Amino acid sequence: MTKKTFLELDSYRLAQYAVQIHCYVCGGGNTFDAELCRHCYAPMALAHQAETQKVQPLMVAVLGPSGAGKTVYLGMLMDMLSRQSDGLQVLARGAFSVNLQQSTVGSLSRGEFPEKTPNEPERWNWVHAQVRRQGQRRALELIVPDMAGEALLEEVNHPNSYEAIPSLVSKCGGALVLIDATRMHDSAVEQDYFTIKLLAYLIELSKDAQNDWSSKPVALILTKADECEPCMSDPNGYVQSHASGLWRLCKERFKTFRFFASGVAGACAYRLTPHGKMRIPLRVEPRGIVEPFAWLVDQLKA
Amino acid sequence: MAGGIEDKIMWATGAASLANVGLGGFHESMLMAAAGAAGLAFVGYRTTRRHRLLPVENRAAAPPEQPLARGARRADPNSDDVESLVDEMLAQQRFCLLLRRQIYENLTQSQRTAARQALEAGMALVPHGGVQFRHVEADLDDGPNEAPPEIVPVDGFYLDRYQVSNRQYLEFVAAGGYEQMAIWEPTIWAAVLDFTDQTGHPGPRYWRNGQYAAGEDNLPVVGVCWHEAVAYARWAGKRLPTTAEWVRAASWPVPLSPTKLLQRRFPWGDGMDRQRCNVWGSGPGRPVDVGQYATGANVCGVQQLIGNVWEWTCDDFGALVPPGEDVLLAAPMKSLHGGAFDTYFENQTSTQFQSADSPLARKHNIGFRCAISVCDLHLLDHDPADDFTSPEGAL
Repeated sequence: MTKKTFLELDSYRLAQYAVQIHCYVCGGGNTFDAELCRHCYAPMALAHQAETQKVQPLMVAVLGPSGAGKTVYLGMLMDMLSRQSDGLQVLARGAFSVNLQQSTVGSLSRGEFPEKTPNEPERWNWVHAQVRRQGQRRALELIVPDMAGEALLEEVNHPNSYEAIPSLVSKCGGALVLIDATRMHDSAVEQDYFTIKLLAYLIELSKDAQNDWSSKPVALILTKADECEPCMSDPNGYVQSHASGLWRLCKERFKTFRFFASGVAGACAYRLTPHGKMRIPLRVEPRGIVEPFAWLVDQLKA
Repeated sequence: MAGGIEDKIMWATGAASLANVGLGGFHESMLMAAAGAAGLAFVGYRTTRRHRLLPVENRAAAPPEQPLARGARRADPNSDDVESLVDEMLAQQRFCLLLRRQIYENLTQSQRTAARQALEAGMALVPHGGVQFRHVEADLDDGPNEAPPEIVPVDGFYLDRYQVSNRQYLEFVAAGGYEQMAIWEPTIWAAVLDFTDQTGHPGPRYWRNGQYAAGEDNLPVVGVCWHEAVAYARWAGKRLPTTAEWVRAASWPVPLSPTKLLQRRFPWGDGMDRQRCNVWGSGPGRPVDVGQYATGANVCGVQQLIGNVWEWTCDDFGALVPPGEDVLLAAPMKSLHGGAFDTYFENQTSTQFQSADSPLARKHNIGFRCAISVCDLHLLDHDPADDFTSPEGAL
């Protein structure tokens, strides 16, 4: 006698795997349930959001050497713009977009700087946010990754060390380049050289008119300028006197660039740790954080 | 009589300076003599330099006004006229000098009354008592097994009701405060030449031509380093508050038991209220008049202890509350309290939070207010300290 049984047919689930979802950043194929792109490690949520909102977000690169303050800058920027009630405002899209802001602000309020961004691209923080100026209906969708400075340095020195970086940087519509003003002041010429190399790397990536970095806006931000008042009051003059090579490169290679000065900590001390001296902020009073970003957003809109 | 009182005023100023410098005995006299010679040379240099730098229109002394108008210079008081000298000192907000024991006894009744009224209007009495320091994040209600922090005793003192304003500081600059070397610590004399404004005139960093910008009379003076704040305080017959005094005025401790005080996190209570202070996100993003945010005053009417600009205190950073055994400073720093218009985190504006900066830092968001101990004032007709004597055993 035949006994009737019910068997679940799961093959429709397999069909989902058959249709590839393309990463928003590198365009590589991924399964529908992938959290990060298996090629460039960008969050696949970016692709899902772009698909559902029918909007193609712009990308902005935050570049600079390790210790220049990329994470602090980006975290503070997002927190300030999400809290302020006038001027430029941002609304985070997706929970992952709040991670950077949360970790940065949490650390600073405890009197510490956030930990160094790991080199592994799968551990980088990403921000996807809607940027809008108060009173204006038109909003801009922006994606900003927080890349590790050491990984950037490695990629600049040895191209294709990190596959994620060139695909990501090529897709960006503009860049925020961070430079440590205090190291520049101390005549640490490596700082100047690294930024020059970084900008030269951007120019190298220009393969076609659409990816021509010489016509993309670049905001160069001198960080930690609160410890270097001449820089805070006149960033252009400061760069011309302390990093003339960098100034000349920008003048000759980029059509739209501008130098800014910023600072987050009013004063700093050091804490002894098993790994050496760690810089700690004695208070947090952000200056010049929003201005470079606002300028870049205006350039991108134009 | 006239010569006598002037001598005593000079003596009081000098005594206050030396007391603050903290030297004593024979060395004091020797130093004073050396200081005098060096000071004269310095004054000569500074006066010549200033005269050279001053625009022609600023070299003429303006008629005296009360208060001193922006850009004006007070006429030199007639040295033979005690009454005008006293009036001058009252107009310059130097009433604390008049209330020094040596001076007070020689004043007329009306002058005493005027000086006391000026004291009451400009400063608030903080009664003697104690204050406890704890980590800024610590719960106010410690666990039963946790030993409460030590109570630091604080004598009664008067604290400026408002942060020192541009207008008040101009009195000091116009009176040649940057040339009176007795009120500057000898170790800093060489640096005083560098304490100039944007145009090279002696004065706060952000001023121009020895003047603040139009319309900024009542903004707190900023761009002054710790030494300039100390010098102003000495010139006014006052001093900078100690960390313990500042925290006591702001947190207004109430004794719960012999070992425990109830202290506020903010002058108005335990919760942050951004409507009561000028901090990041609550104000215009710049300093405001020292009289604004009246609802943020402490119990005795001291305003803007929280926000607007950080305030120098006379202590080294970590003198009372070490920031941690593992914290290293690149150079000695002076303690700052209260937060400023651009202070981002609420916990950094609380009464207990302590920041710091170099004593030579002249920053856009650091100002100060002054204090004076009750015991340094002579109030014959009415000694307010008597009104605030705590019950026996209470702190």
